[in-house]
Amino acid sequence: MSALLVDIHEQIDALLAAPTYTLEPAEHHSRVLAVLQAELTYAAERSGQYGQYLDAWPVDYRAATGIADLPYLPVGALKANPPLALAPPEKLIRTLTSSATTGQTPSRVALDAETSKRMIKGVTTIVSDFIGPKRRPYLVIDGPATLAGQGELGARGAAIQGLRPFATDVVCCLNGDSSGRLEIDEDKLFAFAEKWRNCEVLAYGFTYVVWQHLVVPLRARGIRLEMPNIRLLHSGGWKRLQDQAVTRAAFAAGCAAVFGCAESRVVDFYGMVENVGVIYPDCDRGYKHVPAFADVIVRDPLTLRPVAAGREGLVQVCSTLPTSFPGFLLLTDDIAEVIRYDGCPCGRRGMSFRFVKRVPKTELRGCGNIETTRQRPPADQAINV
Amino acid sequence: MSDLVRTVDSPQEITDAVQPLRAAALERAVAPAQVIEILERWGEALKGPALEAIPGVAFLKLWMRRGTLEPIVVRELGSGGLRGEWQDERGTRLRVFPLGVVGHWPAGNIEIQPVLSLSCALLGGNACLVRVPGGLLEETRAIIEKLREADPRATLTARILTVSFEHERTDLQRAMAAAVDGAMIWGGTEAVTQIRALPFPHWARFAIFGPRLSVAAMDGASWSGPDRDSWCRRIARDVWQFDQQACSSPQTLFLERRSGADVAEFVELLSEAFKTENRLHPRPTIHPALTSAICLARASWILGDRAHRAVFPATPDWTILLGEDRPMPAPTQGHTLYVLVVDSLLQAIERFDGTVQTLGLAISDAAREAALAHAAGEKGVDRIVKLGRMHVFGSPWDGTDMIRPMVRLVRHQPSSAD
Repeated sequence: MSALLVDIHEQIDALLAAPTYTLEPAEHHSRVLAVLQAELTYAAERSGQYGQYLDAWPVDYRAATGIADLPYLPVGALKANPPLALAPPEKLIRTLTSSATTGQTPSRVALDAETSKRMIKGVTTIVSDFIGPKRRPYLVIDGPATLAGQGELGARGAAIQGLRPFATDVVCCLNGDSSGRLEIDEDKLFAFAEKWRNCEVLAYGFTYVVWQHLVVPLRARGIRLEMPNIRLLHSGGWKRLQDQAVTRAAFAAGCAAVFGCAESRVVDFYGMVENVGVIYPDCDRGYKHVPAFADVIVRDPLTLRPVAAGREGLVQVCSTLPTSFPGFLLLTDDIAEVIRYDGCPCGRRGMSFRFVKRVPKTELRGCGNIETTRQRPPADQAINV
Repeated sequence: MSDLVRTVDSPQEITDAVQPLRAAALERAVAPAQVIEILERWGEALKGPALEAIPGVAFLKLWMRRGTLEPIVVRELGSGGLRGEWQDERGTRLRVFPLGVVGHWPAGNIEIQPVLSLSCALLGGNACLVRVPGGLLEETRAIIEKLREADPRATLTARILTVSFEHERTDLQRAMAAAVDGAMIWGGTEAVTQIRALPFPHWARFAIFGPRLSVAAMDGASWSGPDRDSWCRRIARDVWQFDQQACSSPQTLFLERRSGADVAEFVELLSEAFKTENRLHPRPTIHPALTSAICLARASWILGDRAHRAVFPATPDWTILLGEDRPMPAPTQGHTLYVLVVDSLLQAIERFDGTVQTLGLAISDAAREAALAHAAGEKGVDRIVKLGRMHVFGSPWDGTDMIRPMVRLVRHQPSSAD
């Protein structure tokens, strides 16, 4: 292992050990900046093409004084197959894939053992700040098949696994049939609810899975599980629920009604496979915060400069955790609003933000929008009239 | 035309509004010369900072000049076409008559397209029913307002109805299609396909301007010669117009390799020209999806091939992506120009697949340019122009006449003839 990489590991470990949300913002910024600069140097050494990308960047990252000046990759650049990797192939232990919808290419994230460990540590550190470090029974609102797969793990599986350090007993309460359709495994769900009725319980599922495959069917049958101490975490896109006109408030109320808990025990978090080890749960004010080992920049689409508090823009996620792939600085296709750059009443320091929406697909761009070529199919495929 | 762009909400409104339009077209003939006179006054009236800030207005003014339009009418409608009279042709008489009401479906990305489109049909004596895309209402209103000054007797004004309704209102789209005698349709694949499928009457004629892209090409002497600064400025102008979203916008620039000439020097000059053009014409807004696409194009280009280079600022304002001979990249738009160094322009042109509408050229040798133009024509290119003039609207466009498709040519063979 190179001296540079050893140094990077030490700096990351120090950030992981630092107070997760209470570093003074200037200190947080300078420490994260230093690690990211070292990681970029390491990445340029490992990948000639990535180094070329850094060279083309209009600001020399080595001389940058702000994280916002560092070269970022659009998240779509991680859709390459084979995935962009900085670690040698023999060191890679797993590839995570994003939850691309039908017809889209998923992102592919190559993990080595070190990055994988830090990913778990990152999530654990963040979640501990919200629910405490105690291990507890873990209800997975998904099917066991989602967790299967040796080398590759999808976004849902990765999120479920990320919370495993908090688990004692793990129960998947849905079953998938051969077509991938999910339905409630009633025996397991009711047994789990009965066994842990008054205990501190952790539950997690993708937002639309929780709603469509658990809340809606149970509510239709008037079933209430009576688990007042459950902590339900959920993440993933809202688009499918928005299409069904399900608001965030309606979602929380629906979950609370089915589990028999307070709505405040239903916690949405923002995260993506590509931003390994970093998730952004809502604080009790409904805002998202940046942990010590990461950062978020919200950029004005017109200038790509960071926006002022109260303004919306494209989300760039920054993480010091990965060293197996160049996922340090990623411009996402999400839009968020910066609430403030410090001083959230919840007590967490630094920037707080609110997820707004995915970047809407670009409208048809008129007569210059080429979607198909004019080449005709070969004669044997031509339509006879 | 009291409300310059009328918002319609029922099919009956469209059906009712078309009757006086058709009457105006078919009962009160107007000669192309008279139309040109009014169009020229209209073009001259398009003055002032607000109007001149509308992208493409300079091209529209150029198009509306008598010096531009008269030769086009003569070429398309014959030597007597300007007066709208019967013309003798070897013992037969020919005369142009309007179709009636021509429906216009302009694309949503070109601010001047509603007016360009309707001007072509007016020159054929037609009335016009124009659906103005939601994003172009303000610009179209501002341009059409000036027609009132130029047309005090309402000769053309009485023949124009501009309407606005949501693209998804199939009932209104169908009513509009059913009411017209001809259609000029502009836009992307989806839009063109959907509009063509509407229930037009069986006699309706069509002029369809579907999705195309355009490219530029320079020989070695041009990109490495003493005029290269000037060529760079011309390229920048072509790239900036219509935010590079028009079918006539160059997306790729082919540079023919020349021994001893440094492509990096040329790219440096080109980037200076882009900076200057950006200072003169900065973007007021951008769709976040376009910003994402620009960032992705930059990264994908560099990460995709070790030989690729890129020059871009920290903003999404412009991007130059340099590479060697390879298949033409899919357009990114947003002032993103792919620059491909090729051994032979002829070979590059021979790979065109019919999607290229306009080829902007800078070629030092006229005979060679003629050969390249011929090859381009064979490969589906419909316009070959000098760099810097890629957006100058003219006829033919997209390989078709602009006036003639929307008129009837009536032939009279006198009974007294042999």
